Amino acid sequence: MSTFHGLEMAKQALFTQQMGLYTTGHNISNVNTEGYSRQRVNFETLSPYPSASRNRPQMPGQIGQGVKAGTVQRMRDSFLDTQYRSQTSRASYWSTKTDALSRMESVMNEISGGDGLNKVLDDFWKSLQSLSTNATNSGARDVVANKGLAVAETFKYLSTSLEGIRTDLKTQIGDADGTSGKLGDANSLLRQINSLNKQISEIEPHGYLPNDLYDQRDVLIDQLSQIVNIKVTYEKSSNSSLDIADGIANIELEDATGNSFNPAFSLLTKGDMTKADSELKKFTIAYGDGENNSISEIKFGDTVVPIDKVDGSLKALSENYGIKNGDKNYYTKMLSDLDKMASEFIKAFNEIHSSGYGLDGTTGRNFFTGTKASDINVSSEILQNTDAIAASLEANNKGDGQNMLKLSDVITEPISGLGTNTSVKTYYQKLIGELAVNTQEAGRNAKNTALQQANVQNDRLSVSAVSLDEEMTNLLKFQHAYNASARSMTAMDELLDKIINSMGLVGR
Amino acid sequence: MRITQGMMTNNMLNNLTKSFNSMNKYMDQLNTGMKITKPSDDPFIAIKGLGYRSQLVQAEQYSSNAAEVHQWMDNSDGALDHATQGLQRLKELATLASNGTNSKDELENIAKEVDQIKEDLMSIANLKVNDKYIFNGTNTTVPPFGSDGQPSAGFADQKPVKVPISPGVELTANVNGQTVFGGDFFANIDNFSQALKSSDSANIDQYISKIDTNIESVVNARADLGARMNRLDLVENRLSQQELTAKDIMSKNENVDYEKAITDLLTQETMHRAALSAGARIMQPSLVDFLR
Repeated sequence: MSTFHGLEMAKQALFTQQMGLYTTGHNISNVNTEGYSRQRVNFETLSPYPSASRNRPQMPGQIGQGVKAGTVQRMRDSFLDTQYRSQTSRASYWSTKTDALSRMESVMNEISGGDGLNKVLDDFWKSLQSLSTNATNSGARDVVANKGLAVAETFKYLSTSLEGIRTDLKTQIGDADGTSGKLGDANSLLRQINSLNKQISEIEPHGYLPNDLYDQRDVLIDQLSQIVNIKVTYEKSSNSSLDIADGIANIELEDATGNSFNPAFSLLTKGDMTKADSELKKFTIAYGDGENNSISEIKFGDTVVPIDKVDGSLKALSENYGIKNGDKNYYTKMLSDLDKMASEFIKAFNEIHSSGYGLDGTTGRNFFTGTKASDINVSSEILQNTDAIAASLEANNKGDGQNMLKLSDVITEPISGLGTNTSVKTYYQKLIGELAVNTQEAGRNAKNTALQQANVQNDRLSVSAVSLDEEMTNLLKFQHAYNASARSMTAMDELLDKIINSMGLVGR
Repeated sequence: MRITQGMMTNNMLNNLTKSFNSMNKYMDQLNTGMKITKPSDDPFIAIKGLGYRSQLVQAEQYSSNAAEVHQWMDNSDGALDHATQGLQRLKELATLASNGTNSKDELENIAKEVDQIKEDLMSIANLKVNDKYIFNGTNTTVPPFGSDGQPSAGFADQKPVKVPISPGVELTANVNGQTVFGGDFFANIDNFSQALKSSDSANIDQYISKIDTNIESVVNARADLGARMNRLDLVENRLSQQELTAKDIMSKNENVDYEKAITDLLTQETMHRAALSAGARIMQPSLVDFLR
């Protein structure tokens, strides 16, 4: 046994308790840092003396040599991370979808007091009826022309507004080369995660745990899981890394049910660490299918991303914007439904209008021009001269408004082009009904998934978050242990003092 | 479960947001008077609402159409009443003139009155209400009789003015001028006047019965009109009933129940206050406050 064994042991204790104090300070400092996991110093007893060996000194049993700081570990439950990320993808899908559908809903503005298409059509119907009873009244004719204009403008407004939002959605999805929008975000996140993988792989082999880098990486992975749903697996960075080291994060794309694709769709692997950022594979997108410029495909590297099978905000944005052959293309569907409605309406209305006679005795004139929602207009002939409105069924029967009645029926009576027993009004009501149900469902799911996400987040915080009360308690604990170690050193000091200064004085 | 400050802050924020959302919803309801502010709040209510509003618009329009018909009919009836009076007077004059005791001067005076009455009847036939000639069928822009007293083209073949009063149901608003003023209506009067002026007392008798025939056709037209007015009254009653019902259903469907909304809002406010004060209590203390 060394003379200074006690001093060494007390010194080691002071150092170790100090590490505990410093780590507590680190935890307190980061109480509000996003993604920070509290850290704990794992104290270990030093190996006892003597170790069992052939030349061991003859002692009655082993004596402990004190404490050392083993590792500094972050408190985290990877199972909760997995849960949190899959909830994040789902919640992000529904909330993004809700946003997009709500915007569509507010454009349509179909509720009491709103000036949606339904009300405008009602007003137009009313004006046609009024003119039928006052066929020669120029005021009533002006009203018909203006209400007709309102119908045309509402169609155009809906069409251009929805297209406007689609342009917005496209900006959110990102450019063809994947440098902007969600695709740009995903690419940038993958690059950053790769760079953290690299840094981590340089630290772990030395027996260290780069806790703060782990935290940074986990935040980035959380963010990536909002865009697409991913599965993260970890791989040891080297043989010399600690067993509790997290290692290198491999990231693969997962389908909406949480299973790997077959074959696995890998986004980032250990092998990518050797590559420069510019060599990494990335998400790209191709637009331009058909006249509505839908998404033709999203690719990662050379592989096509099955966008309809994943989860996350990217899917929600794509579904709303429109995917080639997609079955949920909310915006393109609404636009084409409105076009169909406008086209059938224009056709039916013009057919009847052109068979009637205006106050000026002419016939064969169209009321509306254009062929779809985006280009419908009231013919300039009629806007300039409301006598051209063909209210009458006969050339010289000016007071006859029977044709107006037939025209008002175009709004309320079934038009075969829109489906069996479907009028312009019921067709539109069906559109609004479907939109309302979709939006409601999305909103409900958004609320539920957000709640579940918050629950998992709470579970995760329960494990990882810093509790100030707990840290204060630890502070006291380590402080007292530090004080006590110092005290034990004082005891050693007195002991040695006795040996060195008070002993061997015999015969003086 | 280990609970940390961060979790409590998160939970409290979540709860406060939820509570704010509810308050916002009730405020919206109270401000707009509507149960829902967008279709997705309740698709069922919203879609029914679209239908009800269209129904109401229709009911209102048909009411206004019926009012239009009413105006036509009232004016036609008044005009025919006036025409009957004129014809009665003509008949009196014909009776007076036919008794053979009148001097030439007296007959000429009668003829003058007859001419005046004819002018009056002519103006009734050409009556214009709301800028429309009401006795010329759908040809409302053309007077039934020209300034020469001749019927205009199409007068003999006029079309009924039909106004829709319910989906698919139309009511004829006008009185066919041809059945009242057509044929030899005015020619008779002219001839009568002519006979008076030439003191042709022997021939005056026949006009009594001719005028009677005219009176009869006016009375018939009024009777027919009266029957239609009765029907119109029924329809108007039904339409106003429909309008009321439509408004009522619409209101039940989408209007907010104020008592409920206000109670909900107050309850929510109480909960919100409780959450705030609980939060303020819990957020404040930590061990730091108690360690020296």
